[in-house]
Amino acid sequence: MFERFTDRSRTVVRHAVDEARAEGRRPVGTEHLLLGVLADGDNLAVRVLAQAGIRAEDLRAAVARHTAGGVDGLGEADAAALREIGIDLAAIVARIEETFGPDALREAVPPPRRRWGRRRLADGRFSPRAKKVLELSLREALRLRHRHIGTEHILLGLLHEGNGLAALVLTEAGADLDDLRRRVEAALRTAA
Amino acid sequence: MSQATDLAAAAGSTDPKVGLRAVLALRRLLERLEVVQVDNARRQGWSWQEIADALEVSRQAVHKKHAGRPAVPGSWEA
Repeated sequence: MFERFTDRSRTVVRHAVDEARAEGRRPVGTEHLLLGVLADGDNLAVRVLAQAGIRAEDLRAAVARHTAGGVDGLGEADAAALREIGIDLAAIVARIEETFGPDALREAVPPPRRRWGRRRLADGRFSPRAKKVLELSLREALRLRHRHIGTEHILLGLLHEGNGLAALVLTEAGADLDDLRRRVEAALRTAA
Repeated sequence: MSQATDLAAAAGSTDPKVGLRAVLALRRLLERLEVVQVDNARRQGWSWQEIADALEVSRQAVHKKHAGRPAVPGSWEA
């Protein structure tokens, strides 16, 4: 399905795959696609986000916070999940750092599990939501009667999907997803 | 609802999504704590056998999992 993608969009997807790979054996998620769009630096999608008052650095930091690459090696989602079963992650981190020094827990990266079959499965694969986003970016391009799929269509796909980690960090950054969609479409009309 | 009841309810949550996510977070924490503690034991001169006994696993298991990492960052002698 990548034949209609522009060079920039391909770079975005490639970047997303690299981001996921850097995190370990995780499939490419919506957050990686968002990071890919942001990494491009100067595309319509990034400009629209900037106009809406959303800073790329904030989004990157939020993604890092939510994924396992967070401050102490465990993400905010992990802390919330542990809270659900009555475990105070902050207290554990504080105790460990008191004894073993700051960053002790963050630097304690567990050895990768040697499961080759699983590694192959996750490496370079897309999560169901990320797949959906790519499908939606194609659909958005068709709907707008564009013959190509640009980075802006990937952003539209991310906004349309609306449920992944990308949508979550955007919402947390104060974005209104529907408003952003309208902004992207308006920007496309002016550009056309 | 008191806090204790809240926690009890969550711990035994019937929603698999909540329960399984907690298990995942717990495993991530556990893996990191194991690294911290095994490294600490090695730095204090514990043998793999002693560490294995403490963790109630085989010496081979703990060695296979942790030997490929310097106990003291930056040194491979330890």
